[in-house]
Amino acid sequence: MNTPLEDQVHDALHRRADPIQHAPLTVTDVRHRARRIQRRRAAAAGVAVAAVLAIAIPVGLSATGPSQRSDVPPATQSPSPTPSPTPEVASGTVDVDVNDAEVVEETPVPLLDVDGPSLITPDGTIELPEVFDTLTPYLDGYVGVARHDEPGVPLATIEFLGADLRVDDGGNATGGLVVSPGGGRIAWSEYDGTRWRVFVADPAGEVEPVETTFDPTAEEEPVIPVGFVSADTVAVKAMYNIGGTRTFTAGGGQPVEVTGLLQADTASPSLGAIAGITEFRPEGTCFGVVDAGGGDPTWTTCDHRLGPFSAGGAYVVGTSAQDDTGSPSIAVLDAATGEEVVTFEAVLPRRTVGGFWTQMTWVGDEAIVARMFIGDDYYMMRLGLDGSVQRIGIESVGASGLTVAVPS
Amino acid sequence: MTTTLVDMGSQGRRADKDADFSAYMAARQPALYRTAYLLAGDHASAEDLLQVAFAKLYLSWDKIRDRGALDGYVRRIMVNENNSLWRRAWKRREHSTDTMPETGTHDTYDDGMGGALWSHVQTLPPKQRAVIVLRYYEQLSEAEIADVLGISVGTVKSQASRALAGLRSRAPSTLHPREHRPHEPGDDS
Repeated sequence: MNTPLEDQVHDALHRRADPIQHAPLTVTDVRHRARRIQRRRAAAAGVAVAAVLAIAIPVGLSATGPSQRSDVPPATQSPSPTPSPTPEVASGTVDVDVNDAEVVEETPVPLLDVDGPSLITPDGTIELPEVFDTLTPYLDGYVGVARHDEPGVPLATIEFLGADLRVDDGGNATGGLVVSPGGGRIAWSEYDGTRWRVFVADPAGEVEPVETTFDPTAEEEPVIPVGFVSADTVAVKAMYNIGGTRTFTAGGGQPVEVTGLLQADTASPSLGAIAGITEFRPEGTCFGVVDAGGGDPTWTTCDHRLGPFSAGGAYVVGTSAQDDTGSPSIAVLDAATGEEVVTFEAVLPRRTVGGFWTQMTWVGDEAIVARMFIGDDYYMMRLGLDGSVQRIGIESVGASGLTVAVPS
Repeated sequence: MTTTLVDMGSQGRRADKDADFSAYMAARQPALYRTAYLLAGDHASAEDLLQVAFAKLYLSWDKIRDRGALDGYVRRIMVNENNSLWRRAWKRREHSTDTMPETGTHDTYDDGMGGALWSHVQTLPPKQRAVIVLRYYEQLSEAEIADVLGISVGTVKSQASRALAGLRSRAPSTLHPREHRPHEPGDDS
């Protein structure tokens, strides 16, 4: 015999559910989902094998390098700031010649092997269930941005991997994922079918994620995180069809618009600054740094497209202002003034196209890891502000090569 | 020739499996969707939950001899899946919407009480909520719930007790509309 409360619960559930006559799924839907589950199970089985190998590999490496671990690396730690308090900084132009560069066997930052697909960290290699173009530790697994080229699927989706490296959540369209320089926070955007949301989360899961909700828009008007402007607030650009691109900061609740930029591209929590496009001129595009709070300009340049800030905020990358995908040189600029500090210039054979990808990452304030291409060949380079040039001699399994897992 | 015969046999079995599975889905999808909805709390999540459950059932179809156990198998997957989804959602504070994008279903029978209680049911921890849905919607016995959830009957009882206590504490003033008198502790026990 039920109590009155039990009767009311019974009635409430039936009132809620009984009018629903919904059968949204077809057998084709289910078979498609079943195939996805099978693929993930297969990938997980492959990962299990990889995990066993990963235990063994560091032991084998012990003779050649100081870095060794006894288990699968659980997480790719963000690049640590340099231990040197007064690093030497070069000036002028440094030639980047892959043939003359010192070859190092370890990577200072996590890399993605696109054709593996796999994640290569200083501690070992992890096979991945699918191709990611950004991937970082989150909770007991990882969160990443997966790219798709299938019709009917968002171009980029946010995916959550469990400790077993299975994709066990996600699938929503995303504008991207960024990690704060110290690794204390990550931020990503998701489209929920109606609007874009930006989440700022603690990778360790000790602090509840914070969500910023944008006005309803189309999925094709993405909100793209560009970088943190403080410990727990991220700068984003919203690519609206009407009204163009707008810049906001997202730290929970409602987004706060930042003026001063036509398009945000990067940000620094150390400086509380955002950099991006300030002006379109007939003769070219100009860029600048603005205060994230008020949008006041700090400095502008029409000579460089601005790339990522260094972890401590001392420097900002300047690349060719004319090229979105590659640059023949990487200029390191003083983030406070825009003055050139040192420039790394790709040495290319005659009549060969090449340069640096603009997706790169800082190692603290002391070096940049960037992908250099010469014709159809790719090289991962570590460019030290002390003028050192190293080639990361890790082979990729396929022609697509390696990329940085967490761009700055 | 041998290969062709094998292929034909394989295709025939696949066609039989798909026909059986399709018939089961057609017959049971609306009812199981309602359970998924009560577990998940919104239509998008319910659809996803049911799709995962059907997909896993499809993969295991040939291994399940007792066709009478199919609903229980689907319910168990949905509950387990929802619990793990809920854990992840809590960690990243996922907010679902209760607005169905295509064919909206409105609770036209709700006199206000159902909606209030439903909203409180949605705040229960997932295991308690699963017990409540299976007990008071599916009207399963405690032993059947224990079987679905893979827990003991005693745990089912304690989860149900805690869930009812939670509901009582969350909305003490609205749980006794039929009695037309102020709530008195112990009425429901």
